[in-house]
Amino acid sequence: MVKIIKEGRFGPGEAIVLLGISSMARIFLPYPRLLVDIGGPAVWMMPLGGLAAALTGIYLMSLVLKKSPGSTIIEITEQAFGPFIGMAVNILVTFQILVVIGAVFIREFSEAMLTITLRYAPISLIDAAFLAMGLLGAYLGVEALARTARLTYLYVLGGLSILIFSLIPFWNFHNMLPFFGNGPKEVFLMGTYSTAGIAEIIIAGVIVQAMGGAKIFAGIGYRAMLLGFGILFLSLTTLVLTYSWPVSEEFTLPFLRLARTIYLGRFFQRPEAIFILVWGIVGAIKIALLLYTAAVSLARSLKLPEYRPLIWPLGLAMFILSLLPLDMPSVIEVDAVYIRSAILLPDYLLPLLILAVLWLKGRGARAGS
Amino acid sequence: MSILANLLKLITYEENPDREGFVLKETSADQKATGKNEASSIGKNSPDEQKKQAGRGSFKKPVRPAGKVTEKPRKIKDSGEAGAVQTGQTAGRANEKPVVDNLSVSASLAENRDTVRILYGLPENKDIIMREIVIGTEPVINGFVIFIDGLVDKSIQDLLFQALMLFAARPAPPEKGKLALFVKERLLPGNQITLQSRFREILDAVNYGDTALFLEGCADALLVETKGWEHRGIDRPTIEQVVRGPQEAFGETLRTNTALIRKLIKNENLTTEFIKVGTRNQVNVAVMYLRDLANPALVAEVKRRIDSIKTDLIIDSGTLEELIEDNPYNLNPTVMATERPDRVAASIIEGRVGIIVDGSPFALIVPTTMYEMLHTGEELYTRWQFGTFIRYLRALAFYLSFLLPGLYLSVVLFHQEMIPTELLLAIAGNRERVPFPSLVEVLLMEISFELIREAGLRIPGVMGTTIGIVGALILGQAAVQANIVSPILVILVAVTGLSSFAIPYYSLAFSLRIYRFFYIAMGAMLGFFGISIGLFAQIILTANLKSFGVPYLAPIGPRTVTGADVVTRLPVFFHEKRPDYLNPLEIARQPDVSRGWLEQKDGGKDN
Repeated sequence: MVKIIKEGRFGPGEAIVLLGISSMARIFLPYPRLLVDIGGPAVWMMPLGGLAAALTGIYLMSLVLKKSPGSTIIEITEQAFGPFIGMAVNILVTFQILVVIGAVFIREFSEAMLTITLRYAPISLIDAAFLAMGLLGAYLGVEALARTARLTYLYVLGGLSILIFSLIPFWNFHNMLPFFGNGPKEVFLMGTYSTAGIAEIIIAGVIVQAMGGAKIFAGIGYRAMLLGFGILFLSLTTLVLTYSWPVSEEFTLPFLRLARTIYLGRFFQRPEAIFILVWGIVGAIKIALLLYTAAVSLARSLKLPEYRPLIWPLGLAMFILSLLPLDMPSVIEVDAVYIRSAILLPDYLLPLLILAVLWLKGRGARAGS
Repeated sequence: MSILANLLKLITYEENPDREGFVLKETSADQKATGKNEASSIGKNSPDEQKKQAGRGSFKKPVRPAGKVTEKPRKIKDSGEAGAVQTGQTAGRANEKPVVDNLSVSASLAENRDTVRILYGLPENKDIIMREIVIGTEPVINGFVIFIDGLVDKSIQDLLFQALMLFAARPAPPEKGKLALFVKERLLPGNQITLQSRFREILDAVNYGDTALFLEGCADALLVETKGWEHRGIDRPTIEQVVRGPQEAFGETLRTNTALIRKLIKNENLTTEFIKVGTRNQVNVAVMYLRDLANPALVAEVKRRIDSIKTDLIIDSGTLEELIEDNPYNLNPTVMATERPDRVAASIIEGRVGIIVDGSPFALIVPTTMYEMLHTGEELYTRWQFGTFIRYLRALAFYLSFLLPGLYLSVVLFHQEMIPTELLLAIAGNRERVPFPSLVEVLLMEISFELIREAGLRIPGVMGTTIGIVGALILGQAAVQANIVSPILVILVAVTGLSSFAIPYYSLAFSLRIYRFFYIAMGAMLGFFGISIGLFAQIILTANLKSFGVPYLAPIGPRTVTGADVVTRLPVFFHEKRPDYLNPLEIARQPDVSRGWLEQKDGGKDN
């Protein structure tokens, strides 16, 4: 009999914060700039479609998880597609999605850190530092990660609130015009497509048992999505209100630009360095969670009793993959062109397929009886 | 002639017959072990194997505690053998020594006398007193008492001897078997007297200050409680001082310490269990809890951990703490040690367990959380607004004590844009004359500060108090004047030091002192990014800790029912529940309306 992986347990509050922080991590990266590029002055509306999609995705995932309440999405995939195809799908999800996303995140956070503060440091050093935090977090497990998220989220939200309120003097509501920006199609259709991916519902599907099971999955998921997309919405609104959209398009790291803009008198100005603390911790939580999810998914797919031996090889794979892109533009391109589409497959398509297959199987069984 | 001989001796060569002086040679057990190793290495014929063996010997692989469980345990001599004291002079007759655990008192007084002599190594063992007595009954009964000089109360013993030798003029019972009972019930006035027939228990009692009385023809010994060694009286707390609140601290005597707690908790459910720990010193450890309140699983776990300890010596609760804590490799302490009985009493009433080690003036409280380590009793003794203010001040001190020097280095080395221009110019102006890099400057000051602190503690008497002033004022001032450090750094290190002193729990403050050096390194290497790495690592490692099954950062991480006394100290009438994470048998501490007079609308009218 296969020994069950010990994941620990944490409460709904911690789960919401963990998934919420995981979803909002992209606001510190060049991602908001890409959204401004698509939506123009109506960029603040773009997360609305993504939020609707994410809520639907959570609902679909909860339906899938309820089919087998004691299991995670990994086991249910196997139940639906059979041991061979199911395992192949799971391994594909682990490597192509989680490991690649982890690699892209490590690289993007490292490049951002180089841009902000450590201009002369080698990228491999910053990469390795993020990887080390990821390894530590993944090794200690999702329970410790959730508690860390719960302990730090007030500082993260506090930092964001200070940023938003400090920029109020710079706001210009005319920047929001024209109201629908580059057009309803770009804002709503492309907006939904571009923002739906930040939800990373598959992560929630993998750690569902540590969160308390399928019963409370939907409630946690909805709240986490509201938190994540809410922060994205506020950040984009602040960006477009502070800088007009043609200017916002020029910033590599819009969040950094916003932090640099703060000027509350001669003594309190340019506090962007303080945000590095928030930045670093959010990045570490995100990378650790991705690495943990990848390791647990693979261990569950391969029916291993322990996930920890997989952390180092998967971490190393993330590290190597993260160093493959030539520079920051290359990694942004990988993220924008490939990852954004690829993440939609396990988040939305996989639950739909599982539901369809299980329905067909059930129908077949009923017909047979 | 002798002068000539001495002169000759002076100028001629003589081999020194005793060049090495005293050498402590290996014991036979060690020699046996070495011989075994040699024999096993001889057995390995191939040179490769021998090389492998040498390699293994040169680097010893650390063994995990889990792995050790499967190994055959090396036999530790049990307390019985330990009790059979092996002094140098008695070593020769060690083989003749009986195993004390199996020994029972004989009906023959002479036999008992010989046994006691062997067990205690008499007459070489000078502080063990064996006194022959004749009990003045009719007919007279021969006997002897054994006790340890210095551990017994002489006045109680005088009463004992008077009762037996002067006032015992009454007929003795004809049945020898009832002799001990007769002496206990009719002759001895002591308040705690027991009959004991096994030498193990008799020796334990005598070692603990009791007096044992052996009688001719009686196969039991009488153990009379005569404990009365010299000890320090109840003193004021020296580490955990408060302005308002009880001013008593624990001493080194176990029974006094348990009584101090019992004095505060006048409740029949307060239970004190004794567990003996340590094979050589057999120290008594008291486990105190409220029977109707503490979670039975918690009490069982505490007793299980203490009971399972196999070591030869426990002198202080600090040693026991290390043996029972959940994560001994983490810097953070997960067991609370306190010298204040009121604090232990308050914790017991919350559903925790107090542990007191005989001879230690610090009691342990389990389980505990980090937030409780930032509390003192004083917040509850003063008005709630004052308590809350102090708590927030302390929270600030907590962060400053380990982060400030690292943040300074980060700002100075990496994020100069954060510093307002005027301040930046002032810092740069002061730093211009200092030849060292900022990191060296900070390390110099921090290490000097730690030295001052350590020296202040170790230097005896009056000098100890002056060293702080000398160190802080003269050294800091001189260092600035000598252009070794900049003035702002002196201020910074002083603020860091003050913050560190504001942490009420010594072990936590100590761990933060060590963390500070990590943050200095991280801040100097990677600026705020390094600090964020350190914070993430510290938070996740701390969040992963548990103290006797309770998360170390409860009730914030994980979030449980917060209660009225975590950081903000709400008024006492809001303290309606006990901490949820302790899972006590009764969660309610007081009703929703604890101030009953608010509901008595006609209150005062009758008067």
